[in-house]
Amino acid sequence: MSEKITRRNFLKLTTAGAATAAIMTGCGPASRYVTREPYVKMPEYTYNGLSTYYATTCRECAAGCGIIVRTMQGRAIKVEGNPQNPINLGKTCARGQATLHGLYNPDRVENPVRQGRSAPQLSTAQVSWDEAIQTVSDALSKTNASEVAFLMGTAPDHLFDLVSDLTDAIGAPAPLRFSALSMFEARATLSKAAEDLLGQAGLPFFDISNADVVVSFGANFLETWLSPVAYTRGYAKMRRSRPRTRGYMVHFETQMSQTAAKADEWIPLLPGTEGLVALALGKLVAQLRGISAPRAFASVNVQQVVETSGVSMEQLTRVAELIAESHAPIAIPGGQALGQSNGLAAAEAILALNALVDNFGQPGGVSLSPLAPNAGAYHRPANAQEMSDLIAKMKSGKIKVLFIHGVNPLFELPQSFGFAEALHATPTVISFATFPDETALTSDYIFPDHHGLESWGYQRSQTGVMQSVLSGSQPVVAPNYNTRATADVFIEAARLAGGKLAQALPFADEVEFIQSKIENLIARTDGSFIAPEINAFSAYFQQHGGWWASSAESDSLSAANALGKSLNVSSAAASIGENEFFFLPFVSPTLGEAGANKPWLQELPDPTTTVMWNTWVAMNPETARELGIENDDVVRIVSEVGSVEASVYKYPAIHPNAVAMPFGQGHTAYGRFAAGRGANPTDVLAPSFNEAGDLAFAGMKVRIEKTGKQQPLSRLESRIGVYGEGMYEEK
Amino acid sequence: MAVLSKYLPGAKKAREDHFEKDDPRQYLMHDPIPRGQMNEMVMESMHATSWKFWMVFGILSVLVAVCFFYAWGYMIAEGLWVAGVMRPAYWGIFLVNTVFWIGISHAGTFISAILRVFKAEFRRPFTRAAELMTTFGLIQAGASIFMHLGRVWLSYWMFPLPNQRELWPNFHSPLMWDLLAITTYVLGSTMYLYLPLIPDLAMARDRSTGWRKTFYRILALGFRGTEGEWRHLHTAMNFFAFAIIPVMFSVHTIVSWDFAMAMRPGWSSSVFGPYFVLGALHSGMGAVAIVLFIMRYTMKHMDYFIRKEHFDALGKLMMMVSFTYAYFIFNDYIIQWYGGNLATDNLLHWLEEGPMSWMFYQMILFNIVIPFAVLWIPKVRQTPWLLAIVGLLINIGMYWERYIIIPVMLTINNMPFTWKLYEPRIEIYLTIGTFALFLLFYMAASRLIPLIPVWEVQEGQMAHTMRKIGKANVSTISDFE
Amino acid sequence: MQMTVDLNRVGAKGAIAEAAEGKWGMSIDRDLCTGCQACVAACAMENNISFVGEEDAGYGRTQHWIRIERFWEGAYPNVKIAGGYQPMMCQQCGHAPCEPVCPVFATPHSDAEQLNLQVYNRCIGTRYCANNCPYQARSFNWRDYHTMPERGNMVNGKLVFPLHNQFNPDVTVRRRGVMEKCTFCIQRIHKAQDKAKSEGREVMDGEFAPACAQACPADAITFGRIDHKDSLVSQRSNEGRGVKHLEDLNTLPRVTYLKEG
Repeated sequence: MSEKITRRNFLKLTTAGAATAAIMTGCGPASRYVTREPYVKMPEYTYNGLSTYYATTCRECAAGCGIIVRTMQGRAIKVEGNPQNPINLGKTCARGQATLHGLYNPDRVENPVRQGRSAPQLSTAQVSWDEAIQTVSDALSKTNASEVAFLMGTAPDHLFDLVSDLTDAIGAPAPLRFSALSMFEARATLSKAAEDLLGQAGLPFFDISNADVVVSFGANFLETWLSPVAYTRGYAKMRRSRPRTRGYMVHFETQMSQTAAKADEWIPLLPGTEGLVALALGKLVAQLRGISAPRAFASVNVQQVVETSGVSMEQLTRVAELIAESHAPIAIPGGQALGQSNGLAAAEAILALNALVDNFGQPGGVSLSPLAPNAGAYHRPANAQEMSDLIAKMKSGKIKVLFIHGVNPLFELPQSFGFAEALHATPTVISFATFPDETALTSDYIFPDHHGLESWGYQRSQTGVMQSVLSGSQPVVAPNYNTRATADVFIEAARLAGGKLAQALPFADEVEFIQSKIENLIARTDGSFIAPEINAFSAYFQQHGGWWASSAESDSLSAANALGKSLNVSSAAASIGENEFFFLPFVSPTLGEAGANKPWLQELPDPTTTVMWNTWVAMNPETARELGIENDDVVRIVSEVGSVEASVYKYPAIHPNAVAMPFGQGHTAYGRFAAGRGANPTDVLAPSFNEAGDLAFAGMKVRIEKTGKQQPLSRLESRIGVYGEGMYEEK
Repeated sequence: MAVLSKYLPGAKKAREDHFEKDDPRQYLMHDPIPRGQMNEMVMESMHATSWKFWMVFGILSVLVAVCFFYAWGYMIAEGLWVAGVMRPAYWGIFLVNTVFWIGISHAGTFISAILRVFKAEFRRPFTRAAELMTTFGLIQAGASIFMHLGRVWLSYWMFPLPNQRELWPNFHSPLMWDLLAITTYVLGSTMYLYLPLIPDLAMARDRSTGWRKTFYRILALGFRGTEGEWRHLHTAMNFFAFAIIPVMFSVHTIVSWDFAMAMRPGWSSSVFGPYFVLGALHSGMGAVAIVLFIMRYTMKHMDYFIRKEHFDALGKLMMMVSFTYAYFIFNDYIIQWYGGNLATDNLLHWLEEGPMSWMFYQMILFNIVIPFAVLWIPKVRQTPWLLAIVGLLINIGMYWERYIIIPVMLTINNMPFTWKLYEPRIEIYLTIGTFALFLLFYMAASRLIPLIPVWEVQEGQMAHTMRKIGKANVSTISDFE
Repeated sequence: MQMTVDLNRVGAKGAIAEAAEGKWGMSIDRDLCTGCQACVAACAMENNISFVGEEDAGYGRTQHWIRIERFWEGAYPNVKIAGGYQPMMCQQCGHAPCEPVCPVFATPHSDAEQLNLQVYNRCIGTRYCANNCPYQARSFNWRDYHTMPERGNMVNGKLVFPLHNQFNPDVTVRRRGVMEKCTFCIQRIHKAQDKAKSEGREVMDGEFAPACAQACPADAITFGRIDHKDSLVSQRSNEGRGVKHLEDLNTLPRVTYLKEG
């Protein structure tokens, strides 16, 4: 019965439904579809419906991970890790995945322009590439060599080699490589400490994969530190690759970073006391192991360390016991420990701790990263001191021409360095930026380079694996815009200039230069492939995504040198006054230094706070309660050199006397997804340096002022579910 | 009663003769007016349109144009992001409105079908008003469902249209049952509105000229009032009165199944069926009280038809419903609480202490405490404006109840990482739009069809003549129906 | 003539549920997951997932098909992330609550792959499936995020979207008003199966992986056949640390989470 009625109703409804449908489809926006235009003329190497894969190198940071880009009909579709590349073995980080949003970013410098320092707008005064090359050529040949400066990104790539050859030839100062990442990682300090203790400058390699106790002093190796993908793999192996052994991890850091969150124990301490804690640990470990404390550790007063650092005696003893009883303990010095006024001593203390447990050159220990196959020596990036010196020279008019490629110092350097004024004092600034970033827009010219995925090149690996690696790049798509490889621009400009310049770069183009630089590898038989001559070699090089030694190297380092040195770590953690806080800037794990213009990176929640698209100030809830600050209240962080405003995130895992803030946002330019978003913590950093010339950024003293404003942070997490807001929190 | 003097020679005397002071049986209306005059009164109540009416009508029209049609069109063109729905509250006020309006619609059927079946005499003057609420409420409910769809222009896919790929709608889906139940209910209740309307339309036809005459002629289907026609009409009405009752119960039960069938804390409850039906009656009764109040004070001659004794009877019904409602809400929450499921505990804690707890407490206050407290008092029941206020509070409380069940309960689920609080955005305008459209329909209807079922009133009056037995006036009941 | 109806096939309530082990499955090692969001980015790139912008993201309208959850336990200084990071995505339930509730069959179950499908062009946007998903793994296209005018550039009077060049042609670009969710990268499954078929063999364990597992730097995500006892994912799922989420709801999830420690 009911079935019958139902069916009858159906028939009635059907008619009504059809009538409604006709009307509604008419007004529905059914016509808006995404269009993808196919090739007009299909290249021979593509098949309809089949993808073409190209091996190349990720340029999002200086780690040099190999990637394979899937392309289809001339478009780059997806980044996948290159399983052969020893650094990342087929894996990628989020920044590598999002590199396509850089390639296809709607805000790119599409033509060479006479920018005329007209920030914040990208100039429309287009110039031809001939004019551009003439300009570069004139700048090179008509300026006194000592008055030319080159500023480049951290990655030691082919362009760095080319520019180094150029500067060598004309007698100009060597190009400076810099990025905020290298500043926040205090790479110069690490390499100086290695030089002091291991006898050779370079980035040490920490073999955490074979360690069973990892003691990290603020080393954010799961986020951005040195070679995050390689170290994440090492971490995974440390935890799970050995039967019945699960590596144990202790992390000393003032706030809980993403890496600290993965540690078995996170031990908060005051910034600047990491070195002291390392020394105290060394002394205790020596006692526990029944050896007399080596000179390095002899002088430290453990009780005093407990008082200054805020780490309790029990914690120290427990960690010392862990280290003492472990077969393969390792201690890792991270950026926050080294970016202090006592950073170099701290780095040495931490490395000495490794020497004490005698893990140098051992599996699960510290080694010196092998040099890339075509590198003569380790080229460390410029430290903040060198940048400051360059700025001083620029300000005093000693630099007439500045070439900038792959770095955005106006954003990445602290404002207090005065790079803006220095740029102003420099008569000619030529930028090769791919994106309209702050520095490019304040230049005289922008001669845009290709995006990394559109260009040739190689990148030397510096650390992350005990293999000598040279990652190769090749264009995976044809350039989208009227851009040109900066290497080609220099080669042609040099040819145009003639003389010494032309002799220095006697190459037809960029590819020929690259081939000249990898030519010597043909002779080597210990690599990932063998080829008889340069053309075949070059083809394999592109196909494999680079060249690397097929087996891991080992080196024998002596600990004696390290332990014999007397280490004296002064406490950098001065006392703080009323309403004063230690300020801890850190590089955003998802954005890195230059990810802000990639919308999907913006949309990725920060691993610790889940904040998206903005900058926050992490503050202990207790502190916030005392100050009468709530979540999303905008506070002003004031230091002696500047101030910055951002919303508060009541972060349960940060020392009550410290506030932390991510670096990566706060752009005034750099495209629609970055500009006007968030705040830049470097605005409050003062130019103070440690002994290795790195910026002593961590634990700078700041005051906090309420602004009375509120700016909600977009979080992925639920404040109700995670913090019990409105439900379980104490009122 | 002064205004009625034209039509009521002797009516006042009849009242005085037949009733004791404050006799509650006044709803039997033992002061009959001659049929012709009563018909005139009803016709006049339809025609008497003041400038106030047109002003309100105009305002409502603007509201409907802006808040209903424009806002909905904007939402269709822009996408649902202009509304406040998100994860985890994928359903928001649109479905609150749907459930609310379906609840309102229940009053019509209840009053007119159940009370008709049980021969509750006080129903007679306001069956029509209640039935109109059913139909107009269902229109709003239907519109709200369509508003809520992400791709409303494809909503016809819910119907089993023949198609080449042999794709059928999914009869496992409670939404599908819902669609069937609501369409059945719409059709059934519209017929049930229409059937008793026929004699009144015929009456209006006979007393109209011009376009109204044409209008009523077409709608009256040639009804002349012959014995055979009346017999058919009564048969049909009896049939529909009995048939619509299970439909009415089923429809809100099925609406409740949209929630009860889902695996969510707070929703997955077997008591939801009757609980929703009672909730619907609760809000429906309240709405009837409001509508009767408005009718009595805005339309001509209505104080004859709608008397405080009617309010009194309605008030008793409301009180009874609020008792049952209290039982169900207690039953629902105690069982959920006793179950001890972690997610449900969180949910109850959220209702108790979360930012929307005020709504929860207001719901209890308006739906249970206030009706309990005041409806005992005859004075309150018999004072139309007081009862209307109680009805209004009940409706606010019932709206809150639905709001709690949908977006507030959706906030809490098994994944605490996703709990977020829903904020209505364009829904507010669209809600105003549906209310305005409902009122607009109602106002238009009050000008077009007799809001008082004249023949039913007359039938009642004929059935209950007063006889004097001994010294007492006794109302006799003939089995007229 | 007697007609037999396979109740499992029509998915009737009360029918014998499909084989509990399913076909494709995943194990996620919470001990290894570092919360780095590489899987989230990889998933977005592979599956043409739109970003929604700051305001909508904060309001709970992110389109992530996979999200990484973290909860706190303890108080400073002994605070830690409870149980480690937890990537959460569609669990591809064998007995999925999202499936029966769709009025138009836009959420059918794949017989061949034992996955929950989402048919975008059948979806009319009732969002019932998302309400009924105990894992909150579904995301709805609240608007046409991909074609928001502020994401395009005006070129010769025409709005062009350079970001669209990146779209994966194997995956539909969803328009507004439809539900979407993790598919276990079914396009990759099909591709691998087609390849294996053309080579006359079975798909090998580890031959392919969904975008998230492929990207994961810690190798926390393992993907494969859970009905094959010797596959890596089966071994990891059964090694003793495995937990399935909300198993008490009888959803038969295909994702096993491996506990810390």
